[in-house]
Amino acid sequence: MTLNFTFWGNDDRASRYQQAIDLFNEEYTDISITSSFAAFADYWPARTTEAAGRALPDVMQFDLSYLREFSENGQLLDLAPYVENETIDLSGYDETLLEAGVLDGKTIGIPTSTNTLAMFENPNVTQAAGATFPDDADYSWEDLNGFIEDVSASGTSTADGYQLYGSGDYTGTFWFFIQWLLQNGVTPFNEDGTLGFDEADVVEFLGLTADLREADQLYPVERATSLLPKGGFTVNEVASEMSWDNFLTQYTTDSGTDNLEMHQLPSIEPGEKALFYKPSMLLSAGANTEHPVEAALFINFLLTDPEVGTIFGTSKGVPADEEQRAAVDVTEGSVDAKVIAYEEEVAEQVTEATPIPVKGFGTIEAKWRTLAEELAYGNLDPEGFATEWFAEAEMAIS
Amino acid sequence: MTLTAEAPPTRAARPARRPSSRRRSLREAGAGYAFLTPWLLGFLLLTAGPMAASLYLAFTDYNLFAPPQWVGLENFTRLFSDPNYTQAWKVTALYVVVGTPVKLLASLLVAMLLNNAFRGKGFYRSAFYLPSLVGASVSIAIVWKAMFIDGGVVDRGQQLLGFSAGGWVGDPNRTVPMLILLTVWQFGAPMVIFLAGLKQVPTELYEAAAVDGAGPVRKFFRITLPMLSPVLFFNLLLETIHAFQIFNSAFIISNGTGGPARSTLFYTFYLYIRGFQDFQMGYASAMAWVLVLVVGAISLVLFQTQNRWVHYSGESK
Repeated sequence: MTLNFTFWGNDDRASRYQQAIDLFNEEYTDISITSSFAAFADYWPARTTEAAGRALPDVMQFDLSYLREFSENGQLLDLAPYVENETIDLSGYDETLLEAGVLDGKTIGIPTSTNTLAMFENPNVTQAAGATFPDDADYSWEDLNGFIEDVSASGTSTADGYQLYGSGDYTGTFWFFIQWLLQNGVTPFNEDGTLGFDEADVVEFLGLTADLREADQLYPVERATSLLPKGGFTVNEVASEMSWDNFLTQYTTDSGTDNLEMHQLPSIEPGEKALFYKPSMLLSAGANTEHPVEAALFINFLLTDPEVGTIFGTSKGVPADEEQRAAVDVTEGSVDAKVIAYEEEVAEQVTEATPIPVKGFGTIEAKWRTLAEELAYGNLDPEGFATEWFAEAEMAIS
Repeated sequence: MTLTAEAPPTRAARPARRPSSRRRSLREAGAGYAFLTPWLLGFLLLTAGPMAASLYLAFTDYNLFAPPQWVGLENFTRLFSDPNYTQAWKVTALYVVVGTPVKLLASLLVAMLLNNAFRGKGFYRSAFYLPSLVGASVSIAIVWKAMFIDGGVVDRGQQLLGFSAGGWVGDPNRTVPMLILLTVWQFGAPMVIFLAGLKQVPTELYEAAAVDGAGPVRKFFRITLPMLSPVLFFNLLLETIHAFQIFNSAFIISNGTGGPARSTLFYTFYLYIRGFQDFQMGYASAMAWVLVLVVGAISLVLFQTQNRWVHYSGESK
């Protein structure tokens, strides 16, 4: 019998999954796995169309942002029975983490790993510009802006003649807005699925980089667009970028720079980072699967087999399963060691519960990105951004 | 194309004189429809069916997961207050209005050049047709993007010529021109049709005109163009309809976003985003039907203007 398995990611992830599947086949010779993958943005249209035709793959990598939509109409298999009879053995899991995949009393997804936000710095760019990254522990958003200005105003260029910049416009990413809200003590999403912030919050957040935007000290959007799917940070023209901590693997590969550094995030009150763990790379099964038991076996293998932990390292985040986490190779100075060291360093700063995304999260996140681009090109002001985004959000969430 | 296939077999329409021939013609009609079956099935199941379904969905709120909810005309009224929708019409109109004539002009010029007798014309005809075969492919869109990014061939070329540096991909003012160049480059299909049309122009007309002292410009406007007008009409209609449907190249070049700054948010692309990224299938269906109506209306107008400028040879008018 054959299971279909889909995931999003790049070639690197695909080859790691292939190794994991080969291992699985050594143990379960009668279950063959057909896998396919796509980029994150292309992944969801494909899954939605399949869902409409009740033809979802047997096993899927899933993201928190789309979980609610798929669960509402019973598209995903309730894995609880398989967890109870220990086909899926979650003894090495932290209970609270599992809650992220439980909606309406059904276990429809189990996270592979956790991510938390981090600040990445390319010290080569910083040095070339003669700047220094602010002190780790309690630097503020203003300090970050100061650093960006230092690098961008230095007038230093790469060998190809491209100017170095301190950062892209970090207000263009919805998750950073959520992180900033949490630092402000605002709960981004209410229990009843409504938004916990208003237009004024959006305008204020976009205002953080207003001066830099005005002075052209943020990485030019024209160049950034031209580089897609790469970015200024991965072509070594930008000194810093915030992202999920598991991005270090990808950043290192794409940029060819192996001395990238990880710092803590800036904060509003010194040292109050208000971090949260984002359960990521959930595994789910389609409710339409004809082989639920085998699907559960495969999910269990990917989630808990120690060798699979070694194969993936921290490339999908820090493994949630205890044994997998222990199996990650932490050679001094390796990418995986840096990520694990970062999560240990900030463990005490993780004070917030995971903001459980509202329905339509994937859509409102994408709209944020589109509007941020308009803002960068100067076609919109922060107020216009907020109005248009809320209009979209209203439709997506309802 | 579909019209020819839909026409009933002519034999069956004839009045039958004897019952036996009537039976035979019925049998023939039956055979005709039997041969048509694959096409009919395809038409009903893959074209007419989905179209009817989308017409229904256009009046509903449907997110692919929950059953469609009837909302009446809401999707259509929302179109008018949607800034993205206006933007989608703007870039699409620009693309159609500028791209189509330029493409037709280019294909006509090349067709006229290739119509002359010279050595190796077969080779050149194939060479000029080639871009049409590969041009619509995904890989060409990727190559096109690579040519127009920062530090790409075009960027370096314009720097050599003393223009300011910078690729076109990141500049919202230059993405549509870039896509127009891509479509113009694929002039092969209309060119071949023009070439066939040029071959049909009777040489004695040119000879007669030459005797009367007409120069090349005059010959072109007085003979070539009028004689070519049916072909021109055909190409104009086809290329206009085709231009409204631009999707692939814009999708690839903007990484599926319609950016930068919504400058490549073409109509069908925006429709796709609404349907498959925002899961607003009802809204997307409404958009699709508006497009069908607009393209239909434009075709109708073109057909209406035909009498004024298209000359069919052998016409008694």
